[in-house]
Amino acid sequence: MILASLASKPRHGYALMKDIQALSNGRVRLSTGTLYGALRRLLEDQCIERFEQADTSREKQAYRLTSEGRRQLQLEVDRMKQLTRAASARLRVKEV
Amino acid sequence: MRVGSVYGVLLSLYPRDYREWFSREMRTAFEKASEEHRAQGRAAYAGLVLAEFGGLLFGAAAEWIAKWTTNSSLRGRTLPDLRNMRPVGVPRDVWFAGAGADAPPDELLEAEKRTEFLVSRIVHAIASHDFEGARSYSFEESQARENLRQLHERYGIGE
Repeated sequence: MILASLASKPRHGYALMKDIQALSNGRVRLSTGTLYGALRRLLEDQCIERFEQADTSREKQAYRLTSEGRRQLQLEVDRMKQLTRAASARLRVKEV
Repeated sequence: MRVGSVYGVLLSLYPRDYREWFSREMRTAFEKASEEHRAQGRAAYAGLVLAEFGGLLFGAAAEWIAKWTTNSSLRGRTLPDLRNMRPVGVPRDVWFAGAGADAPPDELLEAEKRTEFLVSRIVHAIASHDFEGARSYSFEESQARENLRQLHERYGIGE
């Protein structure tokens, strides 16, 4: 979800928390501890990178997707599409 | 105890390198979330605080486990352990002679800084024609230099 949130534009921590909540229709509310733990792992895997945003807000450090992160997100999207297709096919069989 | 202070205490449970990187951002994000939830009422704010405190406890435990179980060269790609980096003011030869393990103690660094500071004050005082001040700083500087010499002797470090 973090990768999906960063796919459209770079965001800082709090903006990520808000966007993920919006993306999941309010079902997922990340705490700061959970969010930054995940950010740390994504940084280590080089899926995202940190940079200093040139604005005047309190949060200057922002995160953006790297090419590796975009690739991982695409893989995940493909995996979910495949799963959805398989599940839909089984549902259709059951209905028949 | 204020909520912000408790948050700070829980943050201190994280590994030091993690804190160097994220603690300020985490605090800012928590403050913003607090402002928003306070406006929604007491129950919403209490829910946020409980979730945040729980998240911090869980997160700190997870980070320690990750630190102990992950290869340090992998972590080092993005999260350098600042304790292994040469601090400002420590000469390169001194730092690398001990690869950090025998770095000069803090009191020695402080004494060096103090001496440098006093020298700069003397120069400034002379430039401002404040000869009275320059004499005073000069006296202090000679004491600081003597203190520094004794510390060098005590720790066996050449000047």
